[in-house]
Amino acid sequence: MKDILRGTAVILIVSVILLIINAKLNEGGGSAGNNSITVYNWGEYIDPDLLKQFTEETGIKVVYETFDSNEGMMGKVEQGGTAYDISMPSEYMIEMMKEKDLLLPIDYSKVPNVKNIDPYFLDLPFDPNNEYSLPYFWGTVGIAYNPTLLEGQTFESWDDLWDPSLKQDVILVDSARETIGMGLNSLGFSLNSTDIDQLRQATDKLKTLSRNVKAVIGDEVTPLMINGEAAVSLTWSGQAADMMYENEDIDYIVPEEGSNLWFDNMVIPRTSTNIDGAHAFINFMLDAEVAAQNADYVGYSTPNLAALDFMDPEVTEDERFYPDEETRSHLEVYRNLGLEMLGVYNELFLEFKMDMK
Amino acid sequence: MGKLSKLPKIYLTVVFIILYAPIFYLIFYSFNSGGGMSDFESFSLEHYGAVFEDTRLLVILINTIVVALLSALVSTAIGVLGAVAILFMRNKAMRNAVLSLNNILIVSPDVIIGASFLILFTLIGVKLGFASVLISHIAFSIPIVVIMVLPKLQEMSPSLIDAALDLGATKRDVLTRVIIPFIKPGILAGFFLALTYSLDDFAVTFFVTGNGFSTLSVEIYSMARAGITLTINALSGLIFLVTVVLVIGYYMISRKTKSPLAGVRK
Repeated sequence: MKDILRGTAVILIVSVILLIINAKLNEGGGSAGNNSITVYNWGEYIDPDLLKQFTEETGIKVVYETFDSNEGMMGKVEQGGTAYDISMPSEYMIEMMKEKDLLLPIDYSKVPNVKNIDPYFLDLPFDPNNEYSLPYFWGTVGIAYNPTLLEGQTFESWDDLWDPSLKQDVILVDSARETIGMGLNSLGFSLNSTDIDQLRQATDKLKTLSRNVKAVIGDEVTPLMINGEAAVSLTWSGQAADMMYENEDIDYIVPEEGSNLWFDNMVIPRTSTNIDGAHAFINFMLDAEVAAQNADYVGYSTPNLAALDFMDPEVTEDERFYPDEETRSHLEVYRNLGLEMLGVYNELFLEFKMDMK
Repeated sequence: MGKLSKLPKIYLTVVFIILYAPIFYLIFYSFNSGGGMSDFESFSLEHYGAVFEDTRLLVILINTIVVALLSALVSTAIGVLGAVAILFMRNKAMRNAVLSLNNILIVSPDVIIGASFLILFTLIGVKLGFASVLISHIAFSIPIVVIMVLPKLQEMSPSLIDAALDLGATKRDVLTRVIIPFIKPGILAGFFLALTYSLDDFAVTFFVTGNGFSTLSVEIYSMARAGITLTINALSGLIFLVTVVLVIGYYMISRKTKSPLAGVRK
């Protein structure tokens, strides 16, 4: 009994010491300050030095938290246990959050740096007039491939994935919108098609791809590509950038028929208790030099036109990640199709997966 | 342990290699000066430096440890008392009902527990953060402790308690001098299981973190989209090292104090 009590005492003392260390480390952060904002972002999606810089410039402390999925993020914002002042959802999630009335409109008199954003990324269908959101990073969906593992095969269009020489070489993502979307794109249909007949055709075309499909998986594709265990994969541009950073053989293209243009955007959730601070943060992140530094750190493409001047031209002139007007004109942003239509997509995707042998 | 014949030995070795190889692989690359796990460039400690420079990561690490220690401690105390209460329940139907309720909590999915805690906390106005995480970790650890302690209690002969009472022990003495020493191995097992459950729980914790308070599991899951950096390898290496030291320390202490009657006399 004695040693149990002693053990308990030791644990309590250790805990108290650790809590004191934590309080020391946390000085300057924490929600205790009068002027602070709580930012809810994807993991590894900001240069931490910028948070310090923001606090130095504005005197506003940043409490920073991370999430790993749009859906999880919305669940917590909707429940309202924490007063999030800024979040970075993807475009389709903004439509859903708008429908649920979870967002506050942006007051543009407090965000003069909006002038830095490339107009091409503004006023898009998921948020007309950018009433609630401003773009943070963007990217595309395309094909990543490793030419050293393929005999002379090159890629320009989605149809190249159907090439008979690619038997068991192609990895698809386990996501209905991307995979069915690829089928739709390869037939020249819209990514947001709700026409059952078009969707049917896309699924039937996908089924003819199954002999080339090696696997349908999620993020695990990155190490497979890096280690040369897979030759071709359907990939997001950010993921492709990661692969290329680790393995210089890998290349990435956006197919000519068109593809998906995705966005993560800054929004102010309705739970915000420091709306001025939230605007200051958005304005800060849109500053040309800040956006450039952030893009260098994160590695995704920035929608900030003015920031490009502060970045390495080798990066900004890389048409794989900053595609030209011509390619961009074929890109399409996902719309929120509603639960019912999403069900149809999932159903067809399942049918495709079951058809594979 | 008796002598093992050849086959079981080989089997054991294979099992241990499978269990430990990924951990050593991970730790090996934490010393890589390159940025990834694909090829080893040269030996470097920069990722360990990065762990100690990133105060946010350190704060989260300490949060994780404190929550694990405190929740394991409190849930062990409650769980042991709960198990004793279950053992002494006169009404058999009642006892079975309580046990079933306990088991339901063990098998029910973490996601549901997490979501219901989130709803509960926002409903009664508990601010999400340290307290909410600690309370929920205590809650999901208690049933585990009960399950670990109960078999030990059932193993104990009732005549032990009768003898103690006959010799003039008060109820309190019976608990602190007979029952608890006897079930000590179960208590320790329950404590350590609760500790590990708390350390690696993601699903429940994700829902109840907030206001800047986060734990390692939530943080690492969030990093997955942008690719996990070698800093995480370094951090995992450090945690592994600490665990090994703790286990060895525990082993030394338990060997020193071992005597045949230790369980009953103290």
